[in-house]
Amino acid sequence: MITEQEFTNIYNLYASKVHRLCLGYASGNNDLSNEWLQETFIKVWKHRNSFKGKSSIDTWIYRIAVNVCLGDLRKSSKSIAITEDLLSNSSNDDKKDDDEKNIQKMYHCIDQLNEQNRALILLELENIPQATIADTVGLAHGTLRTRLSRIRKSLLKCIKNGKRQLK
Amino acid sequence: MENDNLNKLWEVQANCSLISPKEIIRKAKKQRNGQYTSITVMTLTVVILIIYTFYCAFNQLNTFNLGLILMTSSLTFRIIIEFYSLYRKEKQLISMTQKTYYAYLKKYYKTRQIINYAITPICITVYIIGFYLLLPYFKEYFSQTFYNYIIISGVLSLTVIISIIVHSIIKEQRFLNQLNT
Repeated sequence: MITEQEFTNIYNLYASKVHRLCLGYASGNNDLSNEWLQETFIKVWKHRNSFKGKSSIDTWIYRIAVNVCLGDLRKSSKSIAITEDLLSNSSNDDKKDDDEKNIQKMYHCIDQLNEQNRALILLELENIPQATIADTVGLAHGTLRTRLSRIRKSLLKCIKNGKRQLK
Repeated sequence: MENDNLNKLWEVQANCSLISPKEIIRKAKKQRNGQYTSITVMTLTVVILIIYTFYCAFNQLNTFNLGLILMTSSLTFRIIIEFYSLYRKEKQLISMTQKTYYAYLKKYYKTRQIINYAITPICITVYIIGFYLLLPYFKEYFSQTFYNYIIISGVLSLTVIISIIVHSIIKEQRFLNQLNT
């Protein structure tokens, strides 16, 4: 059984990763991703007795987080629209502005992936080990590696060219 | 943009301040207590309803008792289904991989369609029949003003409940369509 102290340690260790993961699912909507983060850890606390250690604790947390984001009904109305301004390769010197634009493009491109590919790339971007990603999503390790490389390529292409049809 | 830059770009995202773990535990405990209260209230309602049905209503079956049973049982039945369905979904959410949970969600929302399009309308119809059976008694025992109030508030609350149900059906249908694409 996870004690309050252990829960605090787990939260401090994984909360920011889960938050960014949810941010990717919510297309950068911070309020929604905060809600999903809270929902994830509320479930972790409530169901801590049912965690039997069959998988590692991080796999269990990421599974809950991905499933929380996947199953939220409000997800269908949160899609962000990408403007021509975001797609243009601006010559703005301000690096912060460029990063912000690229992140928005990235959210848009991630949003176009199918549910499984979206989960895969968001976990990968958080530098989560591939074995943990495979366990979280339910894919064989070999399949995962090939799939990730394909998603990365199409994501880069989408961010560069604003290609709108990703799957 | 190079491959590694994807990770760099991802890390640039602003780190905002997050809720404290203590606050999460407080919210989780509050939620759990709320669930326990709802389950206790539901269980008590069901027990009282069963006792009333067996010991009072069946001994003296009239339209008043019948109306009362129809209203409360249809409502209780629908609420139990809702609780059970949410409980099952939560159990699956914490134990399944993304792949299996995705498949489960599709099945879940297809089953919800049966609840939404068949069971819920039946429950609402039974509830309205029960309410209708009680009206002659209300007319006989209450003043005209109070009787009018019961009818108006009954119709209004039913309209509100139906619109909430319709709204959630639309949301679930949209979500199912999204899952199937």
